[in-house]
Amino acid sequence: MLGLAASRKFGWRLISRPDEELIADALSGQPAAFSELATRHRARVERLCQRFFSDPEIARDLAQECFIRAYTALSSFRKEMPFGGWLRAIVTNLCYDELRRRRRRPEELVGDFTAPEVQWMRLVCEATPEQIVSDAEQRREAHDLAHRLLATLKPEDRTVLIMKDSEGMNVSEIAETMGWSAAKVKIRAFRARQALRRQAERLQAAGRRWTS
Amino acid sequence: MNCFAARQDFPAFWRRELSAERRAALGAHLGQCPKCDQAFRLFAISAPVLHSEQGPDLRAAPAQEFTLESVLRRPSADPRANYREPRRWLAMCASALIFLAASTGAYLAVTPPADTLSEALTNPSEPSAQQLFGPDLSELSSDLSG
Repeated sequence: MLGLAASRKFGWRLISRPDEELIADALSGQPAAFSELATRHRARVERLCQRFFSDPEIARDLAQECFIRAYTALSSFRKEMPFGGWLRAIVTNLCYDELRRRRRRPEELVGDFTAPEVQWMRLVCEATPEQIVSDAEQRREAHDLAHRLLATLKPEDRTVLIMKDSEGMNVSEIAETMGWSAAKVKIRAFRARQALRRQAERLQAAGRRWTS
Repeated sequence: MNCFAARQDFPAFWRRELSAERRAALGAHLGQCPKCDQAFRLFAISAPVLHSEQGPDLRAAPAQEFTLESVLRRPSADPRANYREPRRWLAMCASALIFLAASTGAYLAVTPPADTLSEALTNPSEPSAQQLFGPDLSELSSDLSG
């Protein structure tokens, strides 16, 4: 009974340990502390990688690479900034570098649609907004098609859109993370939205042709 | 609700973070305004990646224990290992070796030129005037000098 209470207390203490404490433990030579830190932030890191890459294996590998980089650079972490933000900067730069490295001929946006993709486009064109939102959560093809759309953008534009729209970062935060000027971020964001809208219109028109 | 406010609410609507009233107001606006309706449909194409909280694979993936050791031990921990990085290095090394071999062969194949004029004249490998023009010509040259 006493042991159960102690373990509960210990477990509660583990969960509530702040990041700074775990970082200090990891720096003092306790890898288990860093493992706990990684477990805590893993879902967010993987999700961010998934916004850059549709292939789940690539996303997982990049997430792991991010934690390895974080571990090796842990001594350079400054306590005045949140660990999550520091980790996010590592992930973003890692994914951006990977996007640039993998830059190749852009995919054909309005090429062949699979049957589920045609169904999804029909839904987007015809269903009510509530139906679209509820169906999107269950459809893998919605995710794939969105990635196909984003793959037509330049790596810089795609990165800015993800940081701004998905992560809710402001211009100065993006500029600091990427090492760009604020003006460049603003220009990139503007051009990215224009390009995204143009490509989405193309995709929608193609979807209408396929569904009709 | 005006068009600007409606479009500002798209991300929250997608993430189901809007209140019921606001949601209904947005739905009513989209029903009345064809431009905003079209804008929402365009937004919906990229929203599954840009605005959804969770991706499909993350939901499907089992919750695994994450340890640093497992990451460091994993062969694919370095993403570059999967992405043809070794092949690129191999190709670069091979081309450097070929270049080195070709330049060495070219260097060894060429006879080095004589450094000075006197070396060139005294070089026994070079043919003499007698060898070139014959004995008669050399006699003629001595007569002329005498």
